[in-house]
Amino acid sequence: MAVTPPPLRPDGWLLDITESDDGRSVVLWTKEQRTGRVRRTAVEYRPPFLVAGTRSDLSLLARRLTDHPDVHSATLGSGRPSLFDHRSRPVLSVVPTRNPARRALARSVDALGGYERFSLYDVDLGPPQLYHLAHDLYPFAPVVGRPPTLRATEPPETIDYSPPPLRIARLEVHLVGERRGRIPPPDGRIGAVRVGETTLEGPEEELLRALVDELARTDPDVLLTNGGDAFDLPWLYRRAAACGLSSAEFPLGRERVPFRPSRPARSFESYGRVLYRSASYPLPGRFHIDRENSFLYDDAEVAGLIDAARLSRLSLATVVRQSPGTCFTAMEMARALELGAHVPWKKNRPEGFRRADHLVAADRGGVIFLPPVGVHDHVDEFDFASLYPHIMVTKNLSTETLECRCCPASPVRAPGLGYRSCTRRVGLIPRTLAPLLERRLAYKAALKRPGVPPEEAARLKRRVKMLKWILVTAFGYQGYRNARFGRIECHEAINAYARDLLARLALEAERAGYSVLHGIVDSLWLRPNDPEHPPDPEAFAARMSERFGLPLGYEGRYRWLVFLPAVTTGLGVPNRYYGYYEHGEFKLRGIGARRHDTTGLVRRFEAEVLALFRTARDAEGVRALLPRALARADLFASEVRAGTWPVDELLIGHRIGQAPEAFVTFTNSVAALRQLKEAGAVRGPGEFVRFVLLDRRSRSFRHRVRPAELLEGNERYDVGAYLEILARSAETLLAPLGVGREELRARWGAEPAPERDEYRSPEGLGQRRLEGSGPERRY
Amino acid sequence: MGRTAPTYHQALEERMKRWDEFARLLTSPEERAAFEMVRTGARRYVAQATYVGSPDLLESILLSVLTDLAVRIRAEPSTATSRR
Repeated sequence: MAVTPPPLRPDGWLLDITESDDGRSVVLWTKEQRTGRVRRTAVEYRPPFLVAGTRSDLSLLARRLTDHPDVHSATLGSGRPSLFDHRSRPVLSVVPTRNPARRALARSVDALGGYERFSLYDVDLGPPQLYHLAHDLYPFAPVVGRPPTLRATEPPETIDYSPPPLRIARLEVHLVGERRGRIPPPDGRIGAVRVGETTLEGPEEELLRALVDELARTDPDVLLTNGGDAFDLPWLYRRAAACGLSSAEFPLGRERVPFRPSRPARSFESYGRVLYRSASYPLPGRFHIDRENSFLYDDAEVAGLIDAARLSRLSLATVVRQSPGTCFTAMEMARALELGAHVPWKKNRPEGFRRADHLVAADRGGVIFLPPVGVHDHVDEFDFASLYPHIMVTKNLSTETLECRCCPASPVRAPGLGYRSCTRRVGLIPRTLAPLLERRLAYKAALKRPGVPPEEAARLKRRVKMLKWILVTAFGYQGYRNARFGRIECHEAINAYARDLLARLALEAERAGYSVLHGIVDSLWLRPNDPEHPPDPEAFAARMSERFGLPLGYEGRYRWLVFLPAVTTGLGVPNRYYGYYEHGEFKLRGIGARRHDTTGLVRRFEAEVLALFRTARDAEGVRALLPRALARADLFASEVRAGTWPVDELLIGHRIGQAPEAFVTFTNSVAALRQLKEAGAVRGPGEFVRFVLLDRRSRSFRHRVRPAELLEGNERYDVGAYLEILARSAETLLAPLGVGREELRARWGAEPAPERDEYRSPEGLGQRRLEGSGPERRY
Repeated sequence: MGRTAPTYHQALEERMKRWDEFARLLTSPEERAAFEMVRTGARRYVAQATYVGSPDLLESILLSVLTDLAVRIRAEPSTATSRR
């Protein structure tokens, strides 16, 4: 038996590694345990990237690179850079003279090979990331020794660890005579800055200098802002420059940085939506977290982000601004390098040719039933925890283990598709996922232990949330064509296993005395055939978990559950329902409260109806409360009609899908955007615009809406439009109880929405004609 | 998103648009109501049809419509026969 050495007492923590300005080294930021001071150490580090090809091509390349000004060295050796390599092959290791030249150099090497003779590895990993991996280090590692001879005292996967104590300070900039959230005038001067518990005020230049002094005095590790990337930091820099301060005189990090973003703002598309990300302003040695520019922060907070940084070897500054997918990819890369493989720069693995009927059979998602519209009771809900990641692990689904050459007779085959899984080697994806799944279960188990202190529980919950997001992306990235270790066949295989599983589970549920009410991919809603003697749900879950080798959880029993219909067909919609569990919790999906663009009016109305239904014991109870719900709706309608509803609760949110000048039709958003532009605020695609409807029929952009930023508070809103919105909301919730929009409109004497004006000038600029689209083709 | 083949649901809705043309020349309310029933039947078994993954769209639609009708007939055996 191996003797475990006693755990080392750490001298401090490694907080972060950043790239140095000189292009030849990285900077290690360490925090001393004893004093809490943060130390900066620059270490020379120029990691190579690898080029694989034939020996003759590589020696030719090596000769050509020797006099290249960007090349420090090019050394020929051998290795197995790809996960698919079973044998060693020639590899050229290229060290650039300066780290920032990596990518450009790699591009010219790729071009020299005619984009086909060479495959390149480790090109787009950052030097800090590679430094971590080459030295067994990771962000927030407890360490002994001093840089550059740091040693982590525990591996990054350690589940029970104590994170370093971080000093977190809020930062908030206020302009003279302006309320935050309004459009700042272009020359707006800074009147006050709140940092931590202190608020600094005074003449601008003195104030900015005082801010630097205050940061030096309190020395926070994290600056937390609400919109810092979009407003606070660029404004501080802009005003500092206007006051004649240099970047050396005005460092907000622990090192000076130029007064410009490290990455400009951009709009991009994800899952069919156009999204917007502000420019980013990281501060070396100090973390700047902008809650509004972070997808993960709200769910994960610092505790979850630290966990993700440790596992991915990405700086907290990167993790906070990137998607969970980036974290997962970095975790895969780390695991690949640990296995002795390298990270391909461009995935050179196109999808294979196949027959059309095979494509139809393979390119499918999970099972999604149409639920029966109406109010139901005695419903038990079950779902598999992290089903897809578990399938990837148990079925060994990974790019290099699917249809491998070593196991032609493998018995592990995707149902209906026949894709084989390797039985001899464990794949990269399962190797990356298994510890994450284990970790999530460990945190969940720790949460259930009695007597967990509330702070610890909060931290654990954040870590669980963080891991959940990462696990969710793991599946999607199998199907993404640019994902480094993704492969579409894996994506298909996972779905095939999941479909088969749900079908078998539904059958088992019927045998156990349930009937299937609804099912989505990894969840089932079941109703006992005999409500007086229902099956024991916990026992059923345990039996099925054992049977299928995957953890099926019992979510709880609903007192009542309402499945909502589609407006167009009247049939159930898989993901629109609301219900109340016996353990006193709501579950809401697809109703206004879950959407970003919902008005305060609708939120309030829904909250009141739900509070009313909360008292119902069963489906009958819900039906009996309908008259009272309608009475609430009438009350809301009469207040809206009176014109007294506060306008800030009437704000409608809309995500802009294209550049404002690209809009062809005149919509509410266009009207709002034009007003904002007039006031000097330009919005890009993916950003939100929020406005109150003043007159939905108006053709004038000034009279149609009023954007949130320009609200005075005494606007007269469009009563008819808001009655319509209220009617739609009431219909959403109450349609299964027999309430329709028409009936509500009649009840409130509201006019229906105006017919859309079909006429457009044929000379209009930017008009696109869509020939033969839609059913209204006439001859 | 980046799918290659349209989902069964998408293919079905595309076909339903063609059915609209059929419905335009149904002139009696009874016929139109009956047609609505057929159309609802076609949409009711999306999950099951997706599960089959048949390359023949019409096969899946017909199975769905027939199953829906058979369920209705079984639920009301007396009315179904008395109309004969």
